[in-house]
Amino acid sequence: MSQQDQSGSSSVYDWSWFAKGLAQLFSLPALILVSAFIGFGGLAREAGITLWQLVFMVPTIWALPSHLILVAGIAAGVPMLAIIPAVALAAIRMMPMTMALIPEIRMPQSKTWHLLAVSNMIAISAWMHTLQKAPEIPRAGRLPFFAGFAGVLMMSTTLAAGLVHQLAASFPVYVMAALYFLTPIYFATSSWNTSRVAAERLALILGFCLGPLFFMVVPQANILFAGLVGGFAAFGFYKFVRRGGAS
Amino acid sequence: MYFDSFDSAWWPFLFILLAGALPTAVWRWIGVLLVGNLDDSSQWLVLVRCVATALVAAVIAQLIFEPSGALATFPFYLRISAALFGFAAFLMFGRRLFVGIISAEIALLGGYALL
Repeated sequence: MSQQDQSGSSSVYDWSWFAKGLAQLFSLPALILVSAFIGFGGLAREAGITLWQLVFMVPTIWALPSHLILVAGIAAGVPMLAIIPAVALAAIRMMPMTMALIPEIRMPQSKTWHLLAVSNMIAISAWMHTLQKAPEIPRAGRLPFFAGFAGVLMMSTTLAAGLVHQLAASFPVYVMAALYFLTPIYFATSSWNTSRVAAERLALILGFCLGPLFFMVVPQANILFAGLVGGFAAFGFYKFVRRGGAS
Repeated sequence: MYFDSFDSAWWPFLFILLAGALPTAVWRWIGVLLVGNLDDSSQWLVLVRCVATALVAAVIAQLIFEPSGALATFPFYLRISAALFGFAAFLMFGRRLFVGIISAEIALLGGYALL
């Protein structure tokens, strides 16, 4: 028994939750993310990205802001050495996002390589949805649930973007605008509901207000600055309130 | 090196990996390694969650203030007022996501139709 625990690391997880993650294909976040990638498929086509390049980049990069920067860079003929820092800067948020998710989904027996492998599937939608669902899922089922959900999101968005590219589907401008508009509203409402302490809701408000303000000062790094300043300020508020409540 | 530097079938794919996938994934790996043995109830995780939330919020603002594609053709005040309207409806009616999303979309498309 103990031998099995040490060697058979896959038995640590409850893989029945993988199927439940897959079944979340029929969920609001999946619908919204697919809509966003319908928009991206058209954008990539206009930028001269081929079908197979598109199908390759959707799951390997797996972060819409990084996709947009790469495609815009390719379309404008920007050299690789200039695209890399722009993508890296936009993707820094992956680090705190990963650090927030991993403690929720890991098991004491989880190997680092399991976590490294599954971390490649972290992007805002699956991350947010899993954080929200985690309290209802037994710990052993959380990593499989995340892998299943993120996996089905990868497949469905790749398929959607590829189909739009292949069919050269075009939609009226107001349809595309409405599709693009789904994402920010979903992110805002979902992260409000995911928050566990008031400080996270404060961080949401601060980040939203500081992002555009920093855009006027440091347009390339405004998201990073807004995240750091807003996040630390909200945490300061959290510490202040706790100290006040304790006395 | 450019996207069209080499006239070979594999080069665009390598370019995508090096310029897009790697600079994104590296932060996820650093996150996994940094969180290491951090206690699940650690105060640091509250800070990490606050920073992650504020970063996502800044991305949300970017998508509304500086959108790409079709949404950019809609006037700024229409985008921001539709977003705030949707969020207010979300808060007022039981914090249901679809209430917020449908209200925001109705406000956006309604405003567009009236313009």
